[in-house]
Amino acid sequence: MKRHWRLLARYFAQYAKVRLAYKADFIIAFFSSMAATVLGFGFVLVLFTKIPRLQDWSFDEVMFLYGFSLIPLGFFNVVSWNLYDFSELYIIEGRFDRVLLRPVSTLYQVVFEKFRLESLQEVVTGILVVGYCVRRMHLELGAMDFLWFAVTVICGAGIYLAVFLILTAVSFWFEDRVGIVPPVFNMLNFGRYPLTIYNVFIQFLLSWIIPFGFATFYPTTHFLGRTAFTLYFHLVPVVAAGFTLLAVVVWNRGVANYSSTGT
Amino acid sequence: MPPIIEVQDLTKEFRTFRRREGVLGALQNLFVREYLTVHAVDHVSFSIEPGEMVGYIGANGAGKSTTIKVLTGILSPTGGKVISNGFVPYRQRRHYTKHIGVVFGQRTQLWWDIAVIESFKLLKEIYEIPERDYRRRLDVFSELLNLKEYLHTPVRKLSLGERMRCDLAASLLHNPPLLFLDEPTIGLDVVAKERIREFLKEINRTEGTTVLLTTHDLSDIEELSKRILIIDKGRILFDGDLEQMKNRLAQYNQVKFFLKDRSQVPRLAQIETDGIVCQRVDDLTYLIRFDRAKHSSAGVIRQIVNTLEVRDLLVEEEPIEEIVKRIYLKGEVA
Repeated sequence: MKRHWRLLARYFAQYAKVRLAYKADFIIAFFSSMAATVLGFGFVLVLFTKIPRLQDWSFDEVMFLYGFSLIPLGFFNVVSWNLYDFSELYIIEGRFDRVLLRPVSTLYQVVFEKFRLESLQEVVTGILVVGYCVRRMHLELGAMDFLWFAVTVICGAGIYLAVFLILTAVSFWFEDRVGIVPPVFNMLNFGRYPLTIYNVFIQFLLSWIIPFGFATFYPTTHFLGRTAFTLYFHLVPVVAAGFTLLAVVVWNRGVANYSSTGT
Repeated sequence: MPPIIEVQDLTKEFRTFRRREGVLGALQNLFVREYLTVHAVDHVSFSIEPGEMVGYIGANGAGKSTTIKVLTGILSPTGGKVISNGFVPYRQRRHYTKHIGVVFGQRTQLWWDIAVIESFKLLKEIYEIPERDYRRRLDVFSELLNLKEYLHTPVRKLSLGERMRCDLAASLLHNPPLLFLDEPTIGLDVVAKERIREFLKEINRTEGTTVLLTTHDLSDIEELSKRILIIDKGRILFDGDLEQMKNRLAQYNQVKFFLKDRSQVPRLAQIETDGIVCQRVDDLTYLIRFDRAKHSSAGVIRQIVNTLEVRDLLVEEEPIEEIVKRIYLKGEVA
């Protein structure tokens, strides 16, 4: 375990060094990431100039939710970079053979070999927005709340990662590119607004099929004092653990399939 | 000592499907697939003793790479048994990989964008190499492979030969008792090849590293290994000593001779009897290939010097390439 943390630190330092060596490239990436974040908030702002409330959700609450969602999403974005062109780089180009030749878990190697550094910006922005909303709404947060905050952020990032790992693992079976990632990515953005504004079908989908609701919406209901969702809130760690486990199982099955077919 | 690698009845089948052409075909492919089973490796058995250097050869698609992939734990076999250095590679892959070094000539194992030395440092963490061992081996390899000048260059800026040397060093940093090389000299110039061969010999001698290498360059085998394994269409055609193979399978010897001057040329016809044919190499150089079963070298030489005035004369065995080519074409060892 200790070795894996040390290795992670090395991988990260190494990668950061390479990334920062190309300054212009990094600066452009940083600003486009920043622009995307600002645009997201811009949308919420514009929305609330037209309507006073979104159902019974106030501007501050929606901002809190949107800001909170940036934190797990930011962490997820930092480590998910390799998943986007996994089938191309690792399966078709054959880099996965190299991964299999090393005495470290394959999942660990794939996730931690490349980092989207600029997405750390999202984490910082998210924390700032959440802090600002907490002050505006005069929310009273105790020590336990901070602990829950950290736990739910980790769970949220875990849920995002688990869902996309499962989708990525599909390429162990089908070498042809499968176009399911973009629609799921859009779904991810649905989860960054109050779930109650959607119809029952989408609520169900975002809770139990692709549980993005547990990554963002249900955690924030606790901090906003909306007790109607307390049960869901307490299920956050359970759902995160369950989906992570599922992702690991699917991934390992995929690796086994790769080993038997060599595709 | 028991063998370090034991392969018994190793079989690997791949199921591929026939892709139909065109848009309609692509649609059909989605629903109805005609599967074909390919026997990439078909009941292969061999064993390798510790410290051996074995050359594994075969035409493209013969099953070499598949065998190497099974032996390194990348692929699991369809049937048969493999025990390598006490492990079943595809079952205990993560433990097993600590005890082997692998080099693929076609692609690097190093990180493309970072300096060679940084890749080495990452490998040091990955394989948990103690600082002292790491330093010592890095020094030895830098010396033997002449790596010092480009340790700080990113891998993508290295030439193929430089990269190959770095890959070799990387594969041996954790001092594995077993080294697998898949076409380590592909695309390299003569000097680079020579350096890599010398290095492999040195490592084999000093560390006792067992080496299994595949190659298309038979001079690799002649320089490095006593033993040769020939695979074709998934089956082992020959397993044994290289010299023994030459003695057994060489059908021809050849005599190359250099005529004194052009006046000798018309007399060449006189020696062309009983299956002996003169081939022209250039103006004054000619070659006679003869069946070893029918003629002796001494007899042929006598005939040449008795008939012609020659300046010089060389007797050569049939080149190993020729023998192997014949085996590939026939698909069996005659």
